[in-house]
Amino acid sequence: MDVITGLSQGFAVALQPVNLLSCFIGVFIGTLVGVLPGIGPTSALALLLPVTLSSTPEAGIIMMAGIYYGSMYGGSTTSILVNIPGEAASVVTCLDGHQMARQGRAGPALGMSALASFAAGTFAVVALMLVAPALARVAVVFGPAEYFSLMVLGLTLLTFLSQGSMAKALLMAAFGVVLGLIGADQITAQPRLTFDRLELLDGIGLIPVVMGLFGVAEILSNLEQDLKREVMMARIGGLWPTLADWKLAKWPILRGTVLGFFLGILPGGGAVIAAFASYALERKLSSTPERFGKGAIEGVAGPEAGNNAAAGGAFIPLLTLGIPPNVVMALLLGAFVMHGLQPGPLLMMQRPDLFWGIVASMYIGNVMLLVLNMPLIGMWVQVLKLPYRVMFPLILMFCLVGVFASGSVVFDVFVMVVFGVLGYLMRKFGYEPAPLVLAFVLGPMLENNLRKSLMLSQGDFTFFVEKPISAVCLGLAVAVLAAPLLPALARRRARLATNQS
Amino acid sequence: MIRNSELWGGLFWLAIGVFVTWAGRDTGLGRLSEPGPGFALFWIGILMCALSLGVIGQAIVSGGATLASLWAGTRWRKVLVVVGLLLVYGAGFQALGFIPCTLALLLALMWFVDPVDGRLATTVAVIATFGVWFALTKWLKIQLPAGILSGILG
Repeated sequence: MDVITGLSQGFAVALQPVNLLSCFIGVFIGTLVGVLPGIGPTSALALLLPVTLSSTPEAGIIMMAGIYYGSMYGGSTTSILVNIPGEAASVVTCLDGHQMARQGRAGPALGMSALASFAAGTFAVVALMLVAPALARVAVVFGPAEYFSLMVLGLTLLTFLSQGSMAKALLMAAFGVVLGLIGADQITAQPRLTFDRLELLDGIGLIPVVMGLFGVAEILSNLEQDLKREVMMARIGGLWPTLADWKLAKWPILRGTVLGFFLGILPGGGAVIAAFASYALERKLSSTPERFGKGAIEGVAGPEAGNNAAAGGAFIPLLTLGIPPNVVMALLLGAFVMHGLQPGPLLMMQRPDLFWGIVASMYIGNVMLLVLNMPLIGMWVQVLKLPYRVMFPLILMFCLVGVFASGSVVFDVFVMVVFGVLGYLMRKFGYEPAPLVLAFVLGPMLENNLRKSLMLSQGDFTFFVEKPISAVCLGLAVAVLAAPLLPALARRRARLATNQS
Repeated sequence: MIRNSELWGGLFWLAIGVFVTWAGRDTGLGRLSEPGPGFALFWIGILMCALSLGVIGQAIVSGGATLASLWAGTRWRKVLVVVGLLLVYGAGFQALGFIPCTLALLLALMWFVDPVDGRLATTVAVIATFGVWFALTKWLKIQLPAGILSGILG
């Protein structure tokens, strides 16, 4: 199936009223989630995962995808107007966006942010459309050794790119794999780490783990600090950037888009890293770097393009290889599985309507976001005026209800609370939850492919290096692990971690 | 040294690593050509032990924040209360039902944990509880336990 035929089939799916409505609900909730600090796209997706089960797979997945890329748009609004990033990828937009607002240029900052997001989001969808089918054709020949090595590389990269100690991040990834292996063994059906609890025979649910580590833990961390959020709404004025703004921003948008897209594809990369990398790149390339942090429009345009392109790029490994490159995509993988679908190279052949429907919905969603964000900025800021002491009990209630609704088991509520406390303590002690969750999702696949490879090779480990793709992935993983030992790279990584924190 | 939070963090993960290694061995390692169900657990446990020893070593060499300093100046009691309330919520959820438990939880959070105006708290709690119950049970057809209100809610 060529791209044009596929896309026309995709639009036929995406333009069905129910899918159109799902797309709208997704981008609307995504924007809201992006605006509200204390709840990110990860928690929102986990919360809404059970809800999507009552819809068709197309509608459910279109909605969940919309939440993800919608949150990238929403986060910038509050970053610019009130200096509060709604989600992590918009932290860097605070630096220059809010400064622009303080100088009475909130309108152009918001306009540039929305337009850069739109341009990057659209580019990412076009690139996804062109790259994914080609990659899927290559991925069909992947065997267990290639999948195992690719997952090892993904987890290694994620730990390398995470904040703080790499040993701690690797520990979290290892613990995540252990959690993923809880339950009956896939081959022998022998129970593992179930402590004679029937509820654990099927393993721990993804939703309670994610809601605990991201939703409850975030609330507990916020609660122990006396958050005094001042919502000082800057004057917005005209949203359209001036010609001079466009001249300054056009290259940062282009560079941010390309950089963000590739960082999004990379296992372990993602929107946060893309935004920071784009900001660092623009500051480095600028002939007037001293303007950065004082209201430079390039500091808004580049990172916003970067995080939106990364959100689009992240769909490629999931849809073509079935491997989620980040936590949000891991949840989307959960949504596919709950609907009885397995994303990967065969998805495009077996369910082209679904694949192209998702792609087409992303075009439509990007247009919706542009229309939604420009006139509704005032409304989003009003949402922020809701005090956190009213908001957090409601978020907690949604977490509890979402977790119970996902499996109708009270045990999951306790699992969520345990992971909430664990997540809170992990933040305190400097351990990151993202490698844990990604490894938790990849754990069973990782083990399965390792065991299959060893069985196929009669226990010969050279099997992994005899296959070129596998050898390259493992080689890269070793290089990434060894990188902190080189002083120059260690310094670069420390700088990246400092920037992120 | 004994108050070093990094050290305690490392020791905690070392204990988990040792347990996972033991559990993997106990479950069955199998042969290299036919790995058993405990094979991956065993080796990941070993990896966890090695990494946590690295964290402990780093804590001994470079030091770290004290345990007390992590909670200094924070409202940690509120965290404990919220965790307690969530556990009570889970314990009573099936028997008492969604509506009484959720209403009580929201009111407790907004009246006592981080207080807001009483009328606002009550209004938000009532609307949120009944709104969510209605949306889930009537629109999305998701079953929520009726508990003590089963006679009224059916």
